[in-house]
Amino acid sequence: MGAGVIAAGWEFANRLLGRGDATIAVPPLDGALKPNQMLEQATPLFECAAPEDLATDGARLFLADGPRLLAIQGGAATEVRVFEQPISALACMPGSGLAVALGGREVRIYANLADPAPRATFATGFSAVNALSPTREGMLFSTDGSTTRGVHEWASDLMELGRTGRVYRLDPADGTAKVMANGLHYVFGACAFGEGALVSESWRHRLIFIGRDGATRIVLPHLPVYPSRISPAAAGGYWLTAFVARTLLIEFVLREPAFRERMMAEIDPQYWIAPRLSSGASFKEPLQGGHIKTMGMLKPWAPPRSYGLIIRLDPQGLPLYSLHSRVDGSNHGVVAAVEFGDDLIVIAKGPGRVLALSLASLEKEFGA
Amino acid sequence: MRETFTRWRYQYWPHHLLGETLSKRWTETAIPVIVLLIVGFVLSRTIDNFLSPTNLADTARQASEIGFIGLGEALVVIVGGIDLSVGSMFALTDFCALYTLNVLNWPVPAAAAATIVCGAALGAINGFLIGYLKLRAFITTLITLIIYRSAFDLLIQRYSNQIAAAFPDFPSWNFLGGGDALGVPSVAIAYLAVAIFGHLFLTRLRPGWHITAIGGSRRSAYNSGVPVRRMIALSYVACGALTAIGALFFAARLGTVGGDIGVGLEVIVLTATVLGGITLGGGKGSVTKSAVGVLIVLLITNGLTTMNARGGINRMALASILLVAAVIDIRWLKNRTRIISKVYVAPTYHYLPPPPPTEVGMGGPFEQNDRLREVDLIGLGRIEAPEDVILDRNDNLYAGSRHGDVIRFLAPDYQQMEIFAHIGGQPLGMAFDRNDNLYICIGGMGLYRIAPNGDVEKATDETNRSMTSVNDDSRLRLADDLDITDGGLVFFSEATIRYEMDEWPIDGLEARGNGRIICYDTNTGKTHTALRGLKFPNGVCVASDGQSILFAETFGCSVKRYWFEGPKKGAIEVVMDNLPGYPDNINLASDGNYWLALVGMRSPVLDLAWRMPGFRTRMAKRLPVDEWLFPNLNTGCVVKFNERGEILESLWDFKGANHPMITSMREHRGFLYLGGIANNRIGRYRLDGADPSFVQYDRRWGRA
Repeated sequence: MGAGVIAAGWEFANRLLGRGDATIAVPPLDGALKPNQMLEQATPLFECAAPEDLATDGARLFLADGPRLLAIQGGAATEVRVFEQPISALACMPGSGLAVALGGREVRIYANLADPAPRATFATGFSAVNALSPTREGMLFSTDGSTTRGVHEWASDLMELGRTGRVYRLDPADGTAKVMANGLHYVFGACAFGEGALVSESWRHRLIFIGRDGATRIVLPHLPVYPSRISPAAAGGYWLTAFVARTLLIEFVLREPAFRERMMAEIDPQYWIAPRLSSGASFKEPLQGGHIKTMGMLKPWAPPRSYGLIIRLDPQGLPLYSLHSRVDGSNHGVVAAVEFGDDLIVIAKGPGRVLALSLASLEKEFGA
Repeated sequence: MRETFTRWRYQYWPHHLLGETLSKRWTETAIPVIVLLIVGFVLSRTIDNFLSPTNLADTARQASEIGFIGLGEALVVIVGGIDLSVGSMFALTDFCALYTLNVLNWPVPAAAAATIVCGAALGAINGFLIGYLKLRAFITTLITLIIYRSAFDLLIQRYSNQIAAAFPDFPSWNFLGGGDALGVPSVAIAYLAVAIFGHLFLTRLRPGWHITAIGGSRRSAYNSGVPVRRMIALSYVACGALTAIGALFFAARLGTVGGDIGVGLEVIVLTATVLGGITLGGGKGSVTKSAVGVLIVLLITNGLTTMNARGGINRMALASILLVAAVIDIRWLKNRTRIISKVYVAPTYHYLPPPPPTEVGMGGPFEQNDRLREVDLIGLGRIEAPEDVILDRNDNLYAGSRHGDVIRFLAPDYQQMEIFAHIGGQPLGMAFDRNDNLYICIGGMGLYRIAPNGDVEKATDETNRSMTSVNDDSRLRLADDLDITDGGLVFFSEATIRYEMDEWPIDGLEARGNGRIICYDTNTGKTHTALRGLKFPNGVCVASDGQSILFAETFGCSVKRYWFEGPKKGAIEVVMDNLPGYPDNINLASDGNYWLALVGMRSPVLDLAWRMPGFRTRMAKRLPVDEWLFPNLNTGCVVKFNERGEILESLWDFKGANHPMITSMREHRGFLYLGGIANNRIGRYRLDGADPSFVQYDRRWGRA
């Protein structure tokens, strides 16, 4: 009782003075995250309506565009198959198998793409499956961002301080779905890492390791962005995408329950103070001091309502370098980046664009 | 329900006054004065006869004696030092007075003079060591404290009997000790005289300024040519002399040279000095603060003595007060600006109904279009921040720039650009008078007038000070736009009285009626405030009836009319409200209607934040300005409205690519010229069907 009162007192004082949990701080983009324009200058391959995820088995590259499954060959896409619901995640399985998540609620594994019926179907209480990734044992990691919000309502989940993310291991052999971890602050993206999975816990701005026994360990904390999908790099290490970036204003709003409640109740979500995949389409979007065009120019260092970022991680999960599309650019909302052949293929979901960066040029630029 | 409460709370409680009061210099004196009043009140309630004339006179005598020492200590502390030897000097000079009078039998004036000279000499030793040899004040005066005290001890061993044996009886000596004039003790009169002189000395005379300057920054004072060493040395001399004056009155009152005279006096005096608010770091302080500090300390020690507190407790209380005062002093000094900047911004409740639609396909007069995308650009990259644009009768184009110039582009092609006049502040709204003088509002400076030959003259930079404002609102902070009536009255808007020009976003965050409309009479040269409490008043335009002005309230999202003469004189009427954007300048159109620039557009989130003042207050405290939620100024439009406040048409640049921000527009010979304060260009848009011969100031004043 007494301790509770004291704790509440401290919390009140912290809120009043902006200390403790009420501290608003976003780490600077510096060191390995120092801004450049590499992503903005990437070669655009094509644009499509709703690109969502990429998957490759080394020989083929698949793209999910709404309900359509496309194969990318030589910079152009051909339709392979159309599903009845939008695809929310994609993964290639060993052999010629393919795993798709549909509408965030169902995961199907096809042994062969031509098969009309899936080899296995998982539909046990999923709500927002947003990433699939094969394990080394031929199973599948799946991240379910939220139990309360659908796959496209991630902004609402952030504004509600969602902490219902779950990581599953799906076994196509016996059709079981095992919860590896739950109660996470939105998970978006996983990749095999050691004996377990490297997982993006987006709302906590960090990468965590989840072991086979469910034990968790923080791998990369304090990111200035909200991390998303992770894919392995051929030269060792990983490609981490960040779909949106943190700003001080959003951090502040996350500490203002009354304002958030009214904003969510009264205002169209596209005009919220919340991260977005793209920005600048309407003057009804919130504008911050740094956004004022001065002498006809929007400053690249303005607070990022939307941002484009890919981080190259080393085998330990620590950042080596990063590729940016800054606030004055347009290749924002990067949700997937996979290596295919000599290129890094990237989805900038904000403008609905698929981009390619030559790995050789990256090696030349960063010497890594 | 909750929102109603919020609205009332912010309507009736003046949140903004706290910051304004704290930023006044006098608050630092006011706080000790309040403490003094509280102490006085408490003591008068607990102690009988506290307010009796005898008691008051007795207190005044003691207070004045210590007050002299306090003044000396204040001087030394202001110059950046400290004097711990005042107690010992007090004892020695007390001895000097009684020795010259009782043993040497000098006349009273000679004894008094000798005492003061003795004090000055003792101070001079400190001054020489600290000022010229640059020893540390603390250690030096600690040493002289011991030396002077030892000297005193040696002297009284030898002479105390002789002094005690004599009973000097001079009327003048007795007057010093116990006399009064009209019930006011002699010592108090003397103190008052010295204090008044001290106040004038510190605030009005050159040496006083030098002393403050040295305390504030010794190096800067030295670099400015202040004789630093001499001033420091002289401050210690003055401290010694003032201590001697205090001792003189003490000697006349009590006539004793007991061994414990002046012991612990330095603690009392230091406590008084710090408690009064004189900063130990130097550079800040006043006579009032010193006097108030002495009174507080004396009331407390006397009060404790009267209540039979033991000596130890008395000292303990004093030391604790000194500690607390020193802590507060140092924390306040360190955090003053930070605290003020945190509490100065005081957002208030501001409700706007949902705006009319602007989206394509929604219809209505504000439906977006791309008509302004086709504007020609004048001076692209060559002019910066043309808030307003104006054309003269010869078609030349004038605009302000953020370098403080008024730029002229020459007709007919506007390629040649020249500096018409240099003023120094950011030029904002402009208007020509009957004789082609250009009246111009300069942010941060006031209203200026430029003759046709380019001569610059100040019209006005101040108005009447209002009685209810804590901030000094007589100076003009942000004169914004103007127009001139037929009778020669210049009505101009001042956007805010709480912020400077570059801080305008903070005023938008506050959304309080901080602005006003001011009238400058060209016939008499007098200025007065016509309207106040407006939400960022901006554009001003004399209406077609010649009896009223139209003015825009930017953050009120409205246009209002104010009658300055005629049957409705003094009345205000809303012409348009709940605009979808933030109105800026207003100007006449060739068809008799008005052009209005919307400098930015409303966003739903800011509209909501304006209804939640607490949210904005915390935002202002926690976030840097670049991260604040701002009004959207990247997209704007131009609208035309008529006398009844109906929107006739609107011109948009959808993407804000060609001409991102519009703060003003001016119609001239079938073209519309566009200015924008964050732009590096002036826009020129061909109006279809507009009168190709329309020249605003030809029509306004009749062709010359």
